[in-house]
Amino acid sequence: MLELDGLSRRYGDLVALDDLTFAVAPGRMRGFVGPNGAGKTTAMRIVLGVLEPDAGRVRWNGADVDAAIRARFGYMPEERGLYQKMRVRDQLVYFARLHGMGAVGAAAAADRWIERLGLGDRAGDRVEALSLGNQQRVQLAIALVHAPEVLVLDEPFSGLDPVGVDVMSGVLRERADAGVPVMFSSHQLELVERLCEDVAIVNQGKLVASGPVAELRERGRGGVEQVRVRVEGDGDGRWLAAVPGAELAETGPRGLLVRLPPGAHPDALLDAARAAGTVTHFSLERPTLAELFRAAVAA
Amino acid sequence: MSGRDSVRLVARREIVERGTEKAFVVSTIVSLVVIACVAVLPNLLGIGGKDEYTVAVVDRSMQPIADAAVRAADAFDADVTLGGDDPDATLAGGGVRAQEKPDDKLVEILQAANARVRSAAALRDAGLGDREAADALSPPALRVTTVEPVNEAAEERGGFAFIAVLLLYGQLIGMGYFVAMGVVEEKSSRVVELLLSTLRPRHLLTGKIVGLGLLGLGQLLLLGVVGLAAAGVSGALDVDGDVLVAAGLALVWFTVGYAFYAAAFACAASLVSRQEDLQSVISPLSIVLMVGFFVSFGVAADPDGTLAKVTSYIPPVAPMTMPPRIALGEASTVEIVGALAVTLGATALLVPLAARIYSGAVLRTGGTIKLRDAWRAAQA
Repeated sequence: MLELDGLSRRYGDLVALDDLTFAVAPGRMRGFVGPNGAGKTTAMRIVLGVLEPDAGRVRWNGADVDAAIRARFGYMPEERGLYQKMRVRDQLVYFARLHGMGAVGAAAAADRWIERLGLGDRAGDRVEALSLGNQQRVQLAIALVHAPEVLVLDEPFSGLDPVGVDVMSGVLRERADAGVPVMFSSHQLELVERLCEDVAIVNQGKLVASGPVAELRERGRGGVEQVRVRVEGDGDGRWLAAVPGAELAETGPRGLLVRLPPGAHPDALLDAARAAGTVTHFSLERPTLAELFRAAVAA
Repeated sequence: MSGRDSVRLVARREIVERGTEKAFVVSTIVSLVVIACVAVLPNLLGIGGKDEYTVAVVDRSMQPIADAAVRAADAFDADVTLGGDDPDATLAGGGVRAQEKPDDKLVEILQAANARVRSAAALRDAGLGDREAADALSPPALRVTTVEPVNEAAEERGGFAFIAVLLLYGQLIGMGYFVAMGVVEEKSSRVVELLLSTLRPRHLLTGKIVGLGLLGLGQLLLLGVVGLAAAGVSGALDVDGDVLVAAGLALVWFTVGYAFYAAAFACAASLVSRQEDLQSVISPLSIVLMVGFFVSFGVAADPDGTLAKVTSYIPPVAPMTMPPRIALGEASTVEIVGALAVTLGATALLVPLAARIYSGAVLRTGGTIKLRDAWRAAQA
């Protein structure tokens, strides 16, 4: 378990982090979201020891994180950085060794990730000769080359094309499934919603929401059930009158959005809809992460 | 991983990456060729040795003057040979004729020869025998004694000292730039954040300085060995124990001076984020180095003077003013040890200050960071 415990950090008068606390569990992915300037990068830099917190601590499996423990972390900074003039394989070996691997192990790991990320024919090229997409792959390989026990990635998906997003998602999922706690920041909330078990939302340095994504979405409806329903040939939902308390929230090409009062069961709505015609769509709507995010940040 | 392991890895990367860079390899080869030429060419071109003149005699009556000139030439550190297709001067019609204005030295030799021949004739006319005339014309030479011991090899040592200063200056400024460019390269490419997630800023700084220092020292050693070998073989320099000690001490001074300047260059470079901005923060240091370089000429001209003695204890210039004094044999052991101690002490003070500023500045990007802000931002 990676724990961020009461992290605070100021830059002069600016409060970048204010008592930030959450944890990333082994085998789970934690999305770390918030508006620009919310403190995400500051928090990740503190986890990696690039910055010192003014207060608070970072723990891994109960122990305060020090340089020896950090050597087993993998990191992808927001500001991508590679030695432009260094060859791909040399660079991977170098970073693997900085993380404490021996020469032989580092070389083998570098070759493995070069193959895995499809960089085989570019291994001997200088980084500056690579396309931006391939440079991103090298950056990911550097975060992974030493088989880290923890992965912290700052905006790993930014600038990736759809194929790159798939490769990145696949690798992160695989690491999480192997028991590694994975934490990454992103502005692509649908992606976070799709990939992550857990999410932490920060705003102005403070944690405003945290927990399993499914739970937050469930809680986010505030007891009100919203149902998306589409009945063939029906446009205005006049049949709703038969359902006590049902309220039409929205009409449109995707069907009707119906709000039910607390305690009302959707079955009655489905029965009424079937009586009105052929039901082509019926789903219980949960607020999306994007909606939760907007609500949390606006609050 | 220990700090020492980190430093070693960083240093090795610097040596491998910089040492195999085409620019570095080419510049090393060019320097080697230049230094070999400088060591060998003066002898090939006849520069620095005795002046050589040819004199033709048209007027037979002037033959004795020509013969006397040949004998007298040695006293003028010159060689005069008779004949030749294109003589420097011709004795004819009771005077000296030449295509163009002859060397003053040659004229002096001929005038002296003329004076001697005519005086001898006058003495013989006055009734002296040949022997008495010769004695009268060759009085015992005045004895020259000096308070300071005379260094017979002073002239060739002067050349050695000059080349040593040139090499030291070039190497200090060159490696200083390498350090500065390396720091900015890591900053501008942002790779520094990734590095600092695995090692401390001072380990990164130390590794870079040590790696490039070893590279610079190796290059200097190579240049020194090739230069001394070439000069020794060609006879331009008598490579004796004193010369080897002086060369060895020049390497020591490079190491000390490099440590001083590398820390300063790294600290200055960490204040900027782009190569374009580097010049503005580096130029004060380049100027100090250049001042040291020029002062060292004054020191070489008077290696025992006040300037020489004072500048030996000023750390930024001592690495360039001490080696020529040592090469010229004008620095006592006490002075050498004292000057080294002062420069080392200054370096020991400078390095932690530079490391702190570097640590505070290296992660900050955009514009040029003020020294004071970097100092405050540093996590001591």
